[in-house]
Amino acid sequence: MEQIGLFVLLLIVGYAFGRMAERRHLKSLIAREHEMNALPAIASRFPPTDRAYDQRLVSGSVVIASDHFKTFVSGLINVFGGRVTPFESLIDRARREALLRMKTEAQSLDAAYVFNVKYETSRIGSGRVPAMEVLAYGTALMASRTAAGD
Amino acid sequence: MVDYENRQPPEGINLGGVHPLRSFATLLVAAAVLVTGLVVVAQFAGAFAARLVPFATERRVVQGLDIAFGDAPADDPMRMYLNALAVRLAPGLDLPHGMILSVHYQRSDTVNAFATLGGNLLFYRGLLERLPSENALATVMAHEMAHVLHRDPVAGLGGGVASALVLSAITGSVGTGAAGDALSRTGLLTGVQFTRRMEARADRAAAVAVAGLYGHLNGAGTLFETLAETRSASHDRPGTPRWLERFVATHPLDEDRVETIAARARELRVPVTGPLTPLPDGFEDWLQAAPD
Repeated sequence: MEQIGLFVLLLIVGYAFGRMAERRHLKSLIAREHEMNALPAIASRFPPTDRAYDQRLVSGSVVIASDHFKTFVSGLINVFGGRVTPFESLIDRARREALLRMKTEAQSLDAAYVFNVKYETSRIGSGRVPAMEVLAYGTALMASRTAAGD
Repeated sequence: MVDYENRQPPEGINLGGVHPLRSFATLLVAAAVLVTGLVVVAQFAGAFAARLVPFATERRVVQGLDIAFGDAPADDPMRMYLNALAVRLAPGLDLPHGMILSVHYQRSDTVNAFATLGGNLLFYRGLLERLPSENALATVMAHEMAHVLHRDPVAGLGGGVASALVLSAITGSVGTGAAGDALSRTGLLTGVQFTRRMEARADRAAAVAVAGLYGHLNGAGTLFETLAETRSASHDRPGTPRWLERFVATHPLDEDRVETIAARARELRVPVTGPLTPLPDGFEDWLQAAPD
């Protein structure tokens, strides 16, 4: 009985705090994405050739952990198959956050663009509640001062 | 010059549109129905298939395994007395020809007795020393003999293996997380409904055999009353409601078993009062005798 009670409590806490954190994070993401829109992050490997650019590797990473509610529901989905919707919102937020962190670094370098942007993910949690790292990295292009002086 | 821009994608394109609580409720009900249904089928199928194995084959296989049941030799007075009591009870159970039983005795404090594969019954000293009369002992003996008569040990093994396979196939896909635990518990809870039915059926058959031997059912419920007292003194949980205890228990509750005996007495039209048969002289010494 105690175990069932604790389990239900963890589910309720996971759901309530997970939803609250998710809403707050989404609001923050949308606001920051608007701010950062002036700095394009491009997947192409070929930088613009209109002028010379200094290049610098920039990256942003975030580690996300599921909660008991999401983990439990995703476990049940594994029985029947289908979209693991509880993790979709989690991964979506992590991807966007990692990109924003990468852009923040690029912005601090006065970059005009970030090219060759890629994502990598790796599972780092092996406990009962999974956790994952999402890393976004790319090549920041800064207008070359050397080239401008020539 | 090439123009680059990041357009803000529309919100929610990567998200499922179903409310999390709705998908949680749907999945929980669906998974519970699936596990319960499959375990019920597996229990029935496994038990049915296992009961097709002839008793003689089952006994031969178990003898071939050379398992030591209990620590008392065949000429131990307690073991001889227990086997003689089984012989006296056999007519009341209509044991089929060839269904040979072997009663074993273990000198340890465990308060238990059980029937297992191959017609082997094991009684522990911890249980025997709590029995006040032969009537109470005969009730336990007849109950365990009824399990063998109904082929419950082999059916339980067959049903248990089949349902464990089904459960591992389902929970294997969800890992050992909380969802896997919850589904396993659902499966195990479904399984105990079968064992409890076996126990209740054995209780009913035992009442017939004991009534046949003594002509009444006085003393038959003493064991369960004693066990109930022992349990309440040790690990009874006052916070657990009775309906929940009934649902999760592998055996019927002691109070229900006492009631079953009374109901059975009414059905069989045998009295619940009558002279109690004392345990034989020397029973106390046999209990304490050290193993050879």
